[in-house]
Amino acid sequence: MESTSAFYTDSEVINRKISGSSLRTNDGSIEEVYEIQTCLSWIGDNDFSRVALQFPDELMHDAVNVTQCLVKSLPSKHNIFILGDTSYGSCCVDEVAAKHYNADAIIHFGRSCLSQPVKMPALFVYGRLPLDVSDCVQQLSDILPKDLTNIVLLYDTIYAYCCDEVAEKLHEKYSNTVASRLTSGCNVESSVTDCVQVSKCGRTFSIPSSLDISDYTMVYIGDEGLTLTNLIYSFPSCNFYSYNPATCVARRENYNVNKMLMKRYYLIEKAKDARIVGILVGTLGVANYLEILDRLKTLIKKAGKKSYVFIVGKINVAKLANFMEIDVFVLIACAENTLLDSSEYYKPVLTPYEMEIACNPERQWTGEYPTNFSDLLEGGSYYKPIPDSILTEETDVSLITGKIRTLGQSDHTVETGTAVVLRSDAMAVATQAENAGEFLELRSWQGLEQKLGETPVTKAVEGQKGIAMGYCDEPHINTQQ
Amino acid sequence: MVNFTVDEIRAIMDKKFNIRNMSVIAHVDHGKSTLTDSLVSKAGIIASAKAGETRFTDTRKDEQERCITIKSTAISLYYELAKEDLKFIKQPQGPDGENHFLINLIDSPGHVDFSSEVTAALRVTDGALVVVDCVSGVSVQTETVLRQAIAERIKPVLFMNKMDLALLTLQVDKEDLYQIFQRAIENTNVIIATYEGSDSPMGVISVDPQNGTVGFGSGLHGWAFTLKDFAKMYCSKFKIEEEKMMKRLWGDNFFNEKEKKWYKQCNNDMNPVDTRGFNKYILDPIYKVFDICTNSDAGDQKPIKFAEKLGVKLTADEKELYGKALLKVMMRKWLPAGDALLQMIVIHLPSPVTAQKYRTELLYEGPLDDPCAVGTKNCDPQGELMMYISKMVPTSDKGRFYAFGRVFSGTVATGQKVRIMGPNYKPGKKEDLFEKSIQRTILMMGRYIEPIPDVPCGNICGLVGVDQFLMKGGTISTYKEAHNMKVMKFSVSPVVRVAVECKNPSELPKLVEGLKRLSKSDPMVQCTIEESGEHIIAGAGELHLEICLKDLEEDHAGIPLKKSDPVVSYRETVTSESAIMCLSKSPNKHNRLFMKAKPLDEKLQADIDNGDVTARQEMKERARYLADTYDFDVSEARKIWCFGPEGTGPNLLIDVTKGVQYLNEIKDSVVAGFQWATKEGVLCDENVRGVRFDIHDVTLHADAIHRGGGQIIPTARRVLYACMLTAEPALMEPIYLVEIRVPTAAQGGCFSVLNRRRGVVNENFEFIVGQSILKAYLPVNESFGFTGDLRADTGGQAFPQCVFDHWQVLPGGNPLDPSTKSGIIVADTRKRKGLKDQVQGLDHFLDKL
Repeated sequence: MESTSAFYTDSEVINRKISGSSLRTNDGSIEEVYEIQTCLSWIGDNDFSRVALQFPDELMHDAVNVTQCLVKSLPSKHNIFILGDTSYGSCCVDEVAAKHYNADAIIHFGRSCLSQPVKMPALFVYGRLPLDVSDCVQQLSDILPKDLTNIVLLYDTIYAYCCDEVAEKLHEKYSNTVASRLTSGCNVESSVTDCVQVSKCGRTFSIPSSLDISDYTMVYIGDEGLTLTNLIYSFPSCNFYSYNPATCVARRENYNVNKMLMKRYYLIEKAKDARIVGILVGTLGVANYLEILDRLKTLIKKAGKKSYVFIVGKINVAKLANFMEIDVFVLIACAENTLLDSSEYYKPVLTPYEMEIACNPERQWTGEYPTNFSDLLEGGSYYKPIPDSILTEETDVSLITGKIRTLGQSDHTVETGTAVVLRSDAMAVATQAENAGEFLELRSWQGLEQKLGETPVTKAVEGQKGIAMGYCDEPHINTQQ
Repeated sequence: MVNFTVDEIRAIMDKKFNIRNMSVIAHVDHGKSTLTDSLVSKAGIIASAKAGETRFTDTRKDEQERCITIKSTAISLYYELAKEDLKFIKQPQGPDGENHFLINLIDSPGHVDFSSEVTAALRVTDGALVVVDCVSGVSVQTETVLRQAIAERIKPVLFMNKMDLALLTLQVDKEDLYQIFQRAIENTNVIIATYEGSDSPMGVISVDPQNGTVGFGSGLHGWAFTLKDFAKMYCSKFKIEEEKMMKRLWGDNFFNEKEKKWYKQCNNDMNPVDTRGFNKYILDPIYKVFDICTNSDAGDQKPIKFAEKLGVKLTADEKELYGKALLKVMMRKWLPAGDALLQMIVIHLPSPVTAQKYRTELLYEGPLDDPCAVGTKNCDPQGELMMYISKMVPTSDKGRFYAFGRVFSGTVATGQKVRIMGPNYKPGKKEDLFEKSIQRTILMMGRYIEPIPDVPCGNICGLVGVDQFLMKGGTISTYKEAHNMKVMKFSVSPVVRVAVECKNPSELPKLVEGLKRLSKSDPMVQCTIEESGEHIIAGAGELHLEICLKDLEEDHAGIPLKKSDPVVSYRETVTSESAIMCLSKSPNKHNRLFMKAKPLDEKLQADIDNGDVTARQEMKERARYLADTYDFDVSEARKIWCFGPEGTGPNLLIDVTKGVQYLNEIKDSVVAGFQWATKEGVLCDENVRGVRFDIHDVTLHADAIHRGGGQIIPTARRVLYACMLTAEPALMEPIYLVEIRVPTAAQGGCFSVLNRRRGVVNENFEFIVGQSILKAYLPVNESFGFTGDLRADTGGQAFPQCVFDHWQVLPGGNPLDPSTKSGIIVADTRKRKGLKDQVQGLDHFLDKL
């Protein structure tokens, strides 16, 4: 979350100004921008009868026009409707919402995180934003080192339409420019043998097998945001340059990847300390989310920790702070939303990969950072089996709490003494519980206290009046300094 | 191995009356390790001739190179006391007149940065040999370690070292030397008396040469004596008892040669230089030996004749020597240091039986009548096992450690199944508790390790196979209801920090593993990962950190590292009461918290740090104390919700509300928010210190679901932040107490260096003519490179020693204003932690009705 305000008022959501290019697309270019022809032929070819259209907030104003365009050109047996508010990020295909209307297919407009939907046929229409190709190439070549040859061109989905053009121009200056392809939905089979196919974050490109990925410089077209961060995590060894078409500024991304990774490593240590893990289901639309959920549950159990599954819709601080007994949360979400800066949260939120490193002794930290959880599953490029049993033979020291901790299920129970210790009020929060039930025991308040016979009977008295924003009988304090 | 085998030792280990566990403590450079070597030479592990050069106990390469002890090292010595001397032992002895003794000796570092090693050493020993350089006298660190020793009920004996220096280099005359000794002994006794009254359970612990609890000599030359040695030589001549003779040889006892009579005062016709018992019968012959030997040439017969007179037998080779070399041999043969010291140790330091009687109540946390306490009190090898692990010693196997400690009760054996209890263990809980078998028990002697089948109580030994279940130290027991032994309290705090970073992120696990090993191998260093992802090493001072970093890079992690400059950690605090009543509303707007902050008394902060006021105290007793000492309202003092951060820190959360419903229901949530907010303060995410937060009023939604943790925790944190921002927030910085020993003439240089570095002199006195001691407060932040600077400005004549003393509000304006000095520190810290540049404004935290 960007600011503390996120956890103190939800009115932010209501007042949120829709940012960015909220200019209404003029009627003439709707056909082109929203690739109406592609949509029509996709619907026609597959003969979908109920098609849902999903728009992000910033494109919502074109939704009606787009729908009308489609309805106009389709036979009446096709039913087209617009999906409203999405429960998770608008970059993902909201399959659940579409199912509510019994849709056969969904067309996703606008920015996409390129995650694969579960099973509903989906068409991605990225939309278009203007890009000054010559300025872009000029600006980039100004800041790129002159002796550079190996470039990979990456871009925000909305600029996909003109990337070929940019790639071509860059190719003239830098002999070995490779343009990436967006590969949402299906995997492209590589036919060239002496090339290595690199496929990350829904983007694919091939490089000659004689070269390593770290020999390449990444050039990104688009504004800064989750997509870029995600890409930087995915290629930690590469230099990044970016060009922002909205402001026409090219710059070197001096993101300190090392620092970022160190911060994430802290979270891994936190996860190793944790006794109770909350699994947050942050998507219902990305393929394999049930598989990763199962895998996490198994893994966490084998690591000797407890896990609880939560579905809370859009995540915010207040929602998660309701579960005080949870030590860390793991967020299952699409690649772009999975990296959540949780510093304002009461308890940290991790990615499934981080949880795996913390719990699975088979997996070693390498500095690489897969953000797509499908990679962790069987068949994925980062798959590592979960050992049959993880035993507590090995202990280790936590550098956060300074205590000894163990990994795995304990194979025997230690006999504890029967001496009674005085329970101290201050211990309530400091002590770590093994499971949520134990946590409740540690709380100073455990539920309604009846105090039968202790409370004198009184007549009902008048309560507070007014509205929650300010009751009538409250003291008026001056909050101005 | 002359008179020293493991089997022999094992046999004596059972004779608990004949064991002495002792540490050697002193100021840096007063010659502990050198002296220890001469003791070791006596026990026969290294050749006698090498004593004084080898520094046997400095086992690390850098220790030998730097000539400074970094780690404490244990060695076992074997000594046979002459049967007739057994009567001098005033404590309970074994039944059979056994005169073989086992001495477990721990040589500890003198530099203040490593005083945690001293603490660890003191815990496992019962007696201390306090070494004082007779030229420079009792110094700061002598006082520090002595204080610690007495607090742990460790009985001291004194050794005046470096007599060779006094005689050869300084050419002090006899009476002056006596006066120097006299003063040093007095100073020592003053310190002892300050920290332990005369009614000490240890009995008389002040040192007195007449009783034989003070030794004199030269560790470097390998000779030493107590008055007893000389009394023995003279008692036949004067035909009086040895003990009486000892009394004559010290203090105002003067011998009139003409009248052949002892006088209590120096009469007119007598010159104290020649007539004082000590001067006449002890110093005179020593001065003569020095005189004759140093002035001898090759082939000179005079020294050899003199040697015969003293009863020293020189070999043919040694007769060839002359000058200083001859002096060394003569003195060593005449007054061997080993004999004198070991005798003193055996006679005057307590056996485990004696010591554990009075130490148990300080050592054990549990009830003093349970089997563990009883076993410890009686030093019963058949009792339940109680062993305290005081430190971890690295093995040759990387990442593994020997657990080093003392058996207080029962017998620890290879293969025995024991309960390993860390410092966080609470009886009846499973936290920090492991039940494992001991792989091996070992005897640790300097560089050598000897396996031994079992070790009975009263002895010091090492364990293999428990290291991974303990962080730095802990208790080992067989009794299933055993409580912990008290954790050690260090006299220094880790206030200097560096951040380390590996060059390649893929090496992070190696770095973390290295940090874990480092933090295990040093009793005090703190290695942590911060939320910003930084890896922090915190130590007592620059030297300590330097050694730790070197170990980390070369040994524990084995990877190249990027290191930041040393920095200090700050604390956030407030300097006045909140100007307004602060209100924050929960996200759903239905709950409101009204709170105020105000500063806590500095003394109370210290009380909380020292554990005099704690969260675990009985509530009424604590309230009484707070009301009496710090003017708390009694009813408020009874409603302290908690301490923080970590439930123990020096901040209070107090409920001062009147008649609020459901308040106990949100207590846990507010406490959680309080812990969070005091751990990561509003200014720059540093710990909060010395703030009292009062909950004045609370409005809650009538439905429990709308006042859950999610609504209250973030709100509590926000209102606490608002409280701090409205109460004139400030930063606190750590302050060293520096003690500088400097020739009075060179003081000017010290003042100018201190001035440049914001130091404040608070004491300045001349302790001997021409030598002064300066005491000053110096911000830790300004202390980096201080020693070098000081040496440069005083021509290398000043010797500073820095010990963390207290926290102090950082002068330099409002930390919220980025142009002030504290504002800059806040901005820098925020940047380092990857936070937003500016402290978030009050309107982020404060709500309006």
